Formats: sequence, C-alpha cells, structure tokens
Amino acid sequence: MMEIQLIINDINYKVDIDVNMRLIDLLRDKLGLTGTKEGCGEGECGACTIIMDGESVNSCLVMAFQANGSNIITIEGLENNGELDPIQRAYMEEGSVQCGFCIPGLIISTKALLDKHPNPTREEIREGMSGNLCRCTGYNKAIDAAQKAIEYLKEGQNDFKNSW
Amino acid sequence: MTLKTVGKSIIRVDAYSKVTGKALYPQDIYLDDMLYAKTLRSKVPHANIKIDTREAERQEGVVRIFTHKDVPLNEHGVVLKDHNVFAADKVRQIGAPIAFVVGESEEACINGMNKIKVEYEELPGVFDPLEAMKEGSPKVHGQSNIIYHYKLRCGDIEEGFKNCVAIAENTYTTHMQDHAFLQPEAGISYMEEDGTLVVAVATQYPHYDREEIARTLKLEEEKVKVINTNVGGAFGAREDITIQIHLALAALTLNRPVKVVFGREESFQAHSKRHPMVMKYKTGADKDGYLQAMEAEIVGDSGAYCSWAMNVLRKAGVHATGPYHIPNVKVDSYAVYTNNPFTGAMRGFGATQIPNAAEQQMDILAEKLGISPFEIRQKNIFKTGSKTATGQVLLESVPLDRCLEELVKRYDEFLKLKNVVDETIEEGVL
Ligand code: FES
Ligand code: FES
Repeated sequence: MMEIQLIINDINYKVDIDVNMRLIDLLRDKLGLTGTKEGCGEGECGACTIIMDGESVNSCLVMAFQANGSNIITIEGLENNGELDPIQRAYMEEGSVQCGFCIPGLIISTKALLDKHPNPTREEIREGMSGNLCRCTGYNKAIDAAQKAIEYLKEGQNDFKNSW
Repeated sequence: MTLKTVGKSIIRVDAYSKVTGKALYPQDIYLDDMLYAKTLRSKVPHANIKIDTREAERQEGVVRIFTHKDVPLNEHGVVLKDHNVFAADKVRQIGAPIAFVVGESEEACINGMNKIKVEYEELPGVFDPLEAMKEGSPKVHGQSNIIYHYKLRCGDIEEGFKNCVAIAENTYTTHMQDHAFLQPEAGISYMEEDGTLVVAVATQYPHYDREEIARTLKLEEEKVKVINTNVGGAFGAREDITIQIHLALAALTLNRPVKVVFGREESFQAHSKRHPMVMKYKTGADKDGYLQAMEAEIVGDSGAYCSWAMNVLRKAGVHATGPYHIPNVKVDSYAVYTNNPFTGAMRGFGATQIPNAAEQQMDILAEKLGISPFEIRQKNIFKTGSKTATGQVLLESVPLDRCLEELVKRYDEFLKLKNVVDETIEEGVL
C-alpha cells in the first residue's frame, strides 16, 4: 500500500493504492470512473486512452504509482455541467458511435490531438487516431467527427446543451 | 405524405451515454459484497481428463470451485446440445471450460485455478475437416464427424458440362477468423430478494440464454432474468453461451453477486469463430459466355461443437452459384467436427466465404473465353425474373446489372488507385 496524490478531471484525489495496481484499475475499480475501457490490457486497442499531463496514454500500461502528482483527464471530464465537449457533440451528430466500447478512447485521442494541433489535416487525424481500434465503424465517421469538431472549436461553439 | 423520420438524420438514442462514458457494459457494474470468478480451460485439444480441486479449494480467498458435478443438466447449445457447461470426462478443444473458481478477489481465483490438478490423457485429434470426414479418423462426438450434409440438385450437370467450351476446376480455402469485438466477455450475477436469479451480460440472445440457464440448472424460466447490458460489439460471437450458466450457477449456489471479466486472450479462447471452408468448384460456360453447369463441394470446419453449423453450411450451399444464373447445378455442403476451436455465426453466416470461390471461377472462365470479367458477369448475373438454383424466382428489385454498370465506369479509376497502392507497397511504405 502507498498513498498518491493526483488531479483527475479537475478534482484532487488522495488515494491508497497497491504497488502493483495499474492506472486503469485505479480509475475503474477504485474511483468508479468506468468510462475508461479495457479492451486488451496490453497497449493494442486504445480503449483505455486517457490524457496524462497533456499526453494521451494507454492507462493499461501505466502503473498507478506512476500517476503520482499528475494531472489526468478521462472521458468523464469532458462534459461540463450538462454541456458536451464539441468533440462529443460531433461524434453524436456524425453517427460515429456504434457499440461504443472504443468511443471514450477515440474521443480522448481526438481531444489530445486537437489540444495540440487545432487544425490537423485528415491524414494527421488518421495518424492521431491510429492507436485506437474500432471493430464496428470503419473509422471514417470518427474522422468526419474530428473534422466537424475542428469547425465547432474554431467557431467557439460549445453550447450544446444536452437534452438526454 | 410528409415523412417525419425517413430521410432525416437522427441521433441514435444511446449515443449520449456512449460519448460520455456513462453507458454500462457488464465489466462496469460493481455490486456490494461481490465475488470474482475465473474459468479454468483446457490446454489441449483432445483428451480424457480427471480433475482434482481439493488443494485449490483450500487456498485462501477461494470460496467455491464449480465443475461438471455441480450442473444438473450438463449440456447446452443453440442447435445441438453438444456443449458441456463444464467438461466432464473429455475435452474436445483448447479453451473448453473445465472449472469455475469463485473467490473474494481475482488474485484468489487465479491462485485457486493454478492449484487445480487436471490429468490429461491425450487422445489423437483431428484438425483437418477433410481428414475428419474419413472413416478411420478420430471422432470428436459419437460415431461420425459429419454433422450435416446439404444437397442441392438442379437440372443435369453432365448434360450441362457437355455444352461447355470453357471449364474451370479449382479448390479454394478460407481461414478461421475471430470477431474480435472490442468488449471482452464479462458478466455479473446475483439473487433478487424474491429468489429471482439475475444474470447481466452482453449477449445477442437474452431469451436463449434464459432458457439455457433454466434448463441446465433445472429452474423455472420465470425464476431467471437475463439483463442485456450495452453490448460492446458481437458480430455473431455472442450467440453461443460462454459465461451465462457459470455465473448463474455461482450466484444461485452462493447467494452473493459474482462477477467475471475476460481478458482478450480468454475471449479468443471462449467464443466461436468463422468457419474455414474448403470449396471445390467446377464451373463451365458455353461458347457465347453463358454459364451452363456448376458442381461444388463445400466443407466447413465446425471445430469441436456444432453451434450454427447446419445453418451456416446450408447458407453456403444456397449461395454457391454466386449471383449468377446457372441451369445445371449440383452442390454438396458439409459441416464437420474437428478438434479445432468451434465455429459459429459470423457476419454473413456462410455466405461470406463463397465469393472467394465463385467469383474467381468467373474471372478464370472469362480469361479462358477471351472476354472481359465484366462481360461474363453481365451475361450471367441475376435479373428480375431470374430463377436461382434453389428454384426461387426473383420477382422484386434485383439491381445487380446496374451495379455492374457503375463498376465498369469506375474500373479505370480503381486501377489507377490500385497502381498507387501497389507502388507504395513496393517502396516499402505500407
Ligand atoms: S486496454 Fe489499454 S490499449 Fe487496450
Ligand atoms: S463502435 Fe464498436 S468498437 Fe468502435
């Protein structure tokens, strides 16, 4: 057992962890942040993607203690007071969601990309998402969604109140 | 008439819960006081087995180990009841479930699992479906490995081949394939206060699951509830039971919630695959390019269990001609047991393998006749009013000729693209 401190979705946490605990287990099993998914547990599928200190990482490949002192964003951190992130909105509108298991990871990868490069080409978007597997959709719609999100972000549109 | 929905883009009802991470898949459900479970699986493809769980049961944190002895009726399956809930005295494929270890933590379950002694007395296996059809081959179940034989007879192929100037004869094979849905199998079971047994899983058949749980555990169906959570992809691989009965048995016996989550590797071992097929084809066309006869023998490898074998091989047989009119047809398709991983439903359900053979036959015939691949297809493709080899007259929309016309128009474009791809591959970029 050891204690670590970290920020997740703007909230400060102080938690006891086992030394052999992975970051994904901390998020899901301990903190109940189950939006982050585990598809393979070995860095292949990207379903577990989160943003850690500005970089997208596979949370199945990071040990929980390595996250000590870090600032983390998970899918749960994107919606703000009922307002969806423009990327989430674009994914919904473009029909990019099927079974949905890959979607949190894909959206987080999209966010990590657009946070760094607000205006990527379609090729760069493909590259940015290349660590995420999706078995249902064929990827094109996720790329369409990223392109739409770029437009929304340029226009400063993030007032998509959800009615669900 | 004004249509409210047709022609409009609408946002699917579950999109919001999925883009926000709120959608619950079984692995996302945590209940108070819940136990965990792990499945011990066969490491060999064909063997008589003896199981000793005594030492494993004594491991700290292990609550209970379930085996075939705990199952009132140890058989299930979507068509034939040839799956065991747990292997009793024989295993027939790698990955067949042998025991279900329930414990206070996942580590405890793994410790327990490692202490179960399985004595394998290995038996000769059969891994090639053509071998499996032979008299002297090792038998997977019962006296014969042939599960199903579909016969299609239309016209007289001998007469038909007499009128042919070009005949193509080839054997085609396709491989096994996994669905690899992104959400590995997971589930949770518990008892409700009124004694209802609940199993929450991601499944394609909650109603079948319920029936099978009730049958194997000798319960009334009304006492069993299957909750279908969000399903993280399925593509056919969630049609057969994997964890449902194991979970039900554990919660029923222990009266505590029990959760199981597969890793990717176990997911590969546990569910069905696409049938590999061996397709032996003989197809002939007359001097004007019209198909006159076709003979095909299609053998599908069903692996260790039947699953949907007859439906899949029937579909393969029915579609054997491809979308082409052929007056004289003889098709025999077979589903065969082997000691390979079992195969079942996967997108296309037996129709997907066929074009690998049927379409290549068309290209080869075109070459032999000195006509283009389009011309031979245009001549033979189904149109409204065509009669299939199974006797169905196609009365409704059959716009295949239009589809071909579009293809002709874009073929040059495609060739250009293909050249770019080929060059890129040659340069080693891809
Ligand atoms: S679960 Fe982490 S990459 Fe697949
Ligand atoms: S939507 Fe199913 S895996 Fe991407």
